[in-house]
Amino acid sequence: MKRFMLTCLAVWSTSTVIAGAALPGASLYQLPVTLQAADGSTLSLSSLRGQPLLITMFFSHCNSVCPLVTLDLQNLEDQLTAQEKSRVRIVMVSFDSQNDTPAQLQRFARQRNIDTTRWILARANAQDVRLMAAALGIRYRELPDHSFNHSTVISLLDQEGVVRAKTLGVQASDDSFLKSLKSLSAGVTAGVPR
Amino acid sequence: MTYSTRIFALLLAALSAAGAFAGSRAKVAEAEFIPALELSPGMSSVHVAAFQLDRRPVTNAQFLKFVKAHPEWRKDRVAALYADTQYLSHWSGATSLGSAARAQQPVTRVSWFAARAYCAAAHGRLPNWSEWELAAAADEHVLDARKDPKWQERVLDWYARPASDPLAQVGSEPADVYGIQDLHDLIWEWVEDFSALMVSGDSRTQGDPDKLAFCGAGALSAKDRENYPMLMRIAFLSSLEASSTARSLGFRCAT
Repeated sequence: MKRFMLTCLAVWSTSTVIAGAALPGASLYQLPVTLQAADGSTLSLSSLRGQPLLITMFFSHCNSVCPLVTLDLQNLEDQLTAQEKSRVRIVMVSFDSQNDTPAQLQRFARQRNIDTTRWILARANAQDVRLMAAALGIRYRELPDHSFNHSTVISLLDQEGVVRAKTLGVQASDDSFLKSLKSLSAGVTAGVPR
Repeated sequence: MTYSTRIFALLLAALSAAGAFAGSRAKVAEAEFIPALELSPGMSSVHVAAFQLDRRPVTNAQFLKFVKAHPEWRKDRVAALYADTQYLSHWSGATSLGSAARAQQPVTRVSWFAARAYCAAAHGRLPNWSEWELAAAADEHVLDARKDPKWQERVLDWYARPASDPLAQVGSEPADVYGIQDLHDLIWEWVEDFSALMVSGDSRTQGDPDKLAFCGAGALSAKDRENYPMLMRIAFLSSLEASSTARSLGFRCAT
């Protein structure tokens, strides 16, 4: 009986500690950002906690670099085993709060063969776009024709939302980025939260 | 309280409220403005709507008040996401200034996130770059003094001063024609859209952008190559991250 109760206590206190664990100071999940996914549902950025994330920003009318970023992400995914793939989520947040509606995001997904059950394509309001870009180190400017001048960064976040690796520019992800991605998706807790 | 004392007290309160209002922000009229940097190809002027700008940068004293009211912005509690390790490092403590941070000096070593939070708490926002540049074009006499060699000289003067000199207190320089002070002589200042100031560090890429790093038209091209003061500020701001802090980097708020 005592052993049973002690086991229960141990399990309960461990789970409480894990569930209530504060976010590391560098975690992006501290941002009060709300995303609207391609299926129209809304989710808080912090709800993505718990799985490693590949995250970048784009806009659907982008003709030059963004299609290459999508390919980059797909290439990265292709280098993962099925199990690793199931552990990683891919998130693309649009700069274009106005035009990249859920319907437009779905269109974009179809054009690029993106599986929206695994990839999250999302829009956010202008303030949240600015916060995300700031936290990810992405530069951007809206032009008069409503396209966007922007830098391209793919960030790898760990389960707690801390940036572990980055690529700048397309076709620029290197071996160390892939290595970090694989180790995080293997279910290995990478490093100590800061 | 007698009737006249009450009237006097009321008048005093009204005057100080008006004074406080007049003392904090100045109106900048709407303008069609030619910026130093071409914001997009062929767009030589930008329309800036009327706005209000703090007459002076935010001071240590003001920021201290903010930190006491919003303890998540204390230097011993601020999230690493929001500010680097030098955040308010010159303050003697989390809620004390000490001798290296005088009350009326502009607050520096604050990040973009912290500056935004302060302005939001003060019912305002950071100015955007166009607004800042518009306000900064003025001198004591005219709205746009940028072609005046005296304006250029005075503005360039600040860059010649060693960074090790202690920061002057706010309001030390005469006000410009808007009633705004310290836009040129004191500190670098955060703007809301600092991340939109994408200038390539390499001048060889002007007009020949590195398309793989930048989507769209790529790096911006300088329109007015002689406006060194503004180009310097743009170069500085575009080198920062949102969590960056720097010894001479502060801010003021707008509405």
